[in-house]
Amino acid sequence: MTSPLPFDSELAAVWPRLRRFAHALARDSADADDLAQMAAEKAFKSFDQFHPGTRFDSWIFRICRTVWIDTIRSRSRRGAHEAPPEAAESLGHDPTSATEAAIDLGKAMAAMQRLPEEQREVVALILVDGFGYREAAEILDQPIGTVSSRLVRGRQALVAMLGEGG
Amino acid sequence: MNEEELFFAWLDGELEGDEAARVAAQVASDPALQAKAEQHRRLAAQLRGAFDPILKQDVPPSKFGSANVLDFQAQRSEREIRRSSFGVPQWAAMAATLAIGIVAGQFVSNRSGAPIESRDGMLVAAASLDRALDAQLASAEGNGRVRVGLTFRTRAGGICRSFTDDGATGLACREGQDWKVEGLFAAPEGQQGDYRMAAGEDPRLAALIDERIAGEPFDAAAEKAALDNGWR
Repeated sequence: MTSPLPFDSELAAVWPRLRRFAHALARDSADADDLAQMAAEKAFKSFDQFHPGTRFDSWIFRICRTVWIDTIRSRSRRGAHEAPPEAAESLGHDPTSATEAAIDLGKAMAAMQRLPEEQREVVALILVDGFGYREAAEILDQPIGTVSSRLVRGRQALVAMLGEGG
Repeated sequence: MNEEELFFAWLDGELEGDEAARVAAQVASDPALQAKAEQHRRLAAQLRGAFDPILKQDVPPSKFGSANVLDFQAQRSEREIRRSSFGVPQWAAMAATLAIGIVAGQFVSNRSGAPIESRDGMLVAAASLDRALDAQLASAEGNGRVRVGLTFRTRAGGICRSFTDDGATGLACREGQDWKVEGLFAAPEGQQGDYRMAAGEDPRLAALIDERIAGEPFDAAAEKAALDNGWR
């Protein structure tokens, strides 16, 4: 690439994935959309710090994760005890579910919410978005071994929550 | 990494060479590990399937404004414009903000009847091109020389249509009551005047569409509905 695309073009290209990442982190869709929007604004303000030739998606995901830690996460924490108990119960393993049973977004978001935050962000990057371990470790600024062990614990917890399905 | 982490790293395609081969052999000889691999592949597919609808939602990002930043294609186009015989500085300035490839002299003009004209600092469709974009469906075989290709909703919520007209292909987007021309490219050599050329075939045009489109292009019914609704 010879020159960076305008910010709007870069953002438009990654925006659907950024919203998906935000949904994987946040408690509900309203928080997720706030998070994606705040990440976009913060990225725009610091676009001069983006290095052309590096990955814009990694860069803005990293910003999104920082915003989540700084703001939305504390908002979710404050509201956590208000979550209706049936939301958790509905996550129980359904013995009738077929092996290929699809789960809906609400169920997936609720399951992600029950993961510890450090596992949730790793699962969101690697399992939901498809980043490699190394890219995820760079986004999170953590050693690859830490990412790998958190991913193991996160996916084991999710399998327990979402049903083993055969 | 411990054995558990190695297993999952293998599952995620993160291992290479001997290490990958060793875990693969281990899994192949152990039905319990095979079942576990299957279980976790399913989990990953379930998760992706659950979050995938977000990707398809038509929620456009905010526009932060980047008109002062040229993309590569626009820069190249600007050079082409400068080399051309236009000699009208305002065209060069305008073209710099657009993805205009080679603009034929007869195309853009303020003389009456030209298909594209300058208005309020924008290039807008006029005459036959404006009429076709307003009223013509992609399915129309019409006698006119303008053919309309794809119609689609942009991420910003507007509507754009691609067109082919007299050896050029381009993209126009609804702006109030006008069709603002956001790209115009000369047809490849040898296809000049070939009205059957599908709009959207030109890779430069395809790139413009890719940058803007939200979801899929309109089908015939959606296109008709958009026409009836005044392209809003």
